[in-house]
Amino acid sequence: MSTRKVVTALFLAAGLVTAGRTVVAHHAFGAEFDPNAPIRLQGKVVRLEWVNPHTWIHIETVKDGKPEIWMVEGGTPNTLLRRGITRDTVAVGTEVIVDGYQTKDHSLKRANGRDVTFADGRKLFMGSSGTGAPKDGSDPTEGGTKPAPKKPGGGK
Amino acid sequence: MRIPIALGLAIVGSVGLIAQQAPASAPRSAGATAGQGRSSTAKPAGVARAADGKPDLQGVWTNATITPLERPQNVKDLVLTEEAAARMEKAVTDRRDRLNEPSDPNRTAPPQGGDGSTGAAGNVGGYNNFWLDPGERVAIVDGQRRSSLIIDPPDGRIPALTQEARTRQQARAKMAMGRGQYDHPEYRPLAERCLLSFGPTTPLVPNYFYNNNLQIVQTPDHVMILMEMVHDARVVRIGGKHLPKHIRPWMGDSIGHWEGDTLVVDTTNFPPQQNFRGASENLHVVERFRRADDKTINYRFTVDDPTTFTAPFTGEIPFRAMEELIYEYACHEGNYALGNVLSGARNEEKRLGTKQ
Repeated sequence: MSTRKVVTALFLAAGLVTAGRTVVAHHAFGAEFDPNAPIRLQGKVVRLEWVNPHTWIHIETVKDGKPEIWMVEGGTPNTLLRRGITRDTVAVGTEVIVDGYQTKDHSLKRANGRDVTFADGRKLFMGSSGTGAPKDGSDPTEGGTKPAPKKPGGGK
Repeated sequence: MRIPIALGLAIVGSVGLIAQQAPASAPRSAGATAGQGRSSTAKPAGVARAADGKPDLQGVWTNATITPLERPQNVKDLVLTEEAAARMEKAVTDRRDRLNEPSDPNRTAPPQGGDGSTGAAGNVGGYNNFWLDPGERVAIVDGQRRSSLIIDPPDGRIPALTQEARTRQQARAKMAMGRGQYDHPEYRPLAERCLLSFGPTTPLVPNYFYNNNLQIVQTPDHVMILMEMVHDARVVRIGGKHLPKHIRPWMGDSIGHWEGDTLVVDTTNFPPQQNFRGASENLHVVERFRRADDKTINYRFTVDDPTTFTAPFTGEIPFRAMEELIYEYACHEGNYALGNVLSGARNEEKRLGTKQ
């Protein structure tokens, strides 16, 4: 068996390919959000709930000239805290774009943050990297100090 | 990987030799007693010791890895070549970098009817990859880069379920459908109710998602294992006997003893609500913690449940020391999800007129 085939097979087995993954999450997203209620939101961040099991980003949008407050579900804050990112990293008033699906309870203005970006399309945060992953000594290139907090969008 | 070019060429050049040196299958037979000789007599130099002379297991550790629990059926060998491991790690970081790329700011809402995602993301997508932290490294145990965490059976796969287990699973599914899985908060999964981790706590298998970190606190009488995920704390009593059979804590009843420098933890009395790979309350897990060096615990687990699995199985996972804290996972604090799931079901019933 070629190395390429071995790598592909292992990649699939570890659930590292699809966004959906095969692992169990805190809750089934399909039970909470409505596939028949897709939404695109654009507005300013008014509050971040940096809580478990899911972070919630509150944004103010405008519909028919009237303001609406939407809550957008993210992941655990623990992984971002470990990279030096806190709820203060994204300033209130920052404009973001969100696409996702509304909760099955349509009386709630809540949605999953399927993709949360700045207005120019950059991701709100960045995935872990050689400098952001837990420092566990397995990377010979990692230094002896804690990585500096990253700026939104990876400090670009 | 940030490897200097010269070093990278040296690694590539030596791949053939390394592959020949590596054994093609599990280096020893597994099981609850395997490895005792090695662990009970070896006293690795430089391993920190507690005041009572036992190896000091205390600290914050991570079991995150990209090595899957089960080996794919078309991969034969337990041990990966250095080249294959490096390519797998690069594939993981390449994917992460792709997912970090900016999105189209003019994108529209996702597709009506769902985005086709599967698994936990069930047709609505989940959330951005930047929230996740599944690990970026292949598991290395005793210098071997592993293709699966399971080392026994030799094919690296969980043995087939018994007929009894299959029947039990069907009955559970039927009961859940019959009573309405959204009809009561207590019908919802334990993780959704913030009662137990949604990665296994016994054995300590990674969830390939995030928060694969744990803290160990040790005294001569007790060892506490705190999982970051859902803040599950398992307290192991050193010595003594198991609780009476009718007492079934969420994470089972763990008692431990030292075999030389290896901490052996025996866990039974699981509640019927736990569901490790379809196991029943007869689940029996034996774990072995051995400090390999000052930065690593070699963790070995054997799972047995004759009412569920046609044979026991054993795995090995390196726990790597972290210069980090465990962060609190106050699951109830922001658990809007449970309420959203239940009120969503009520909303659908009203819309479809299926219930009064």
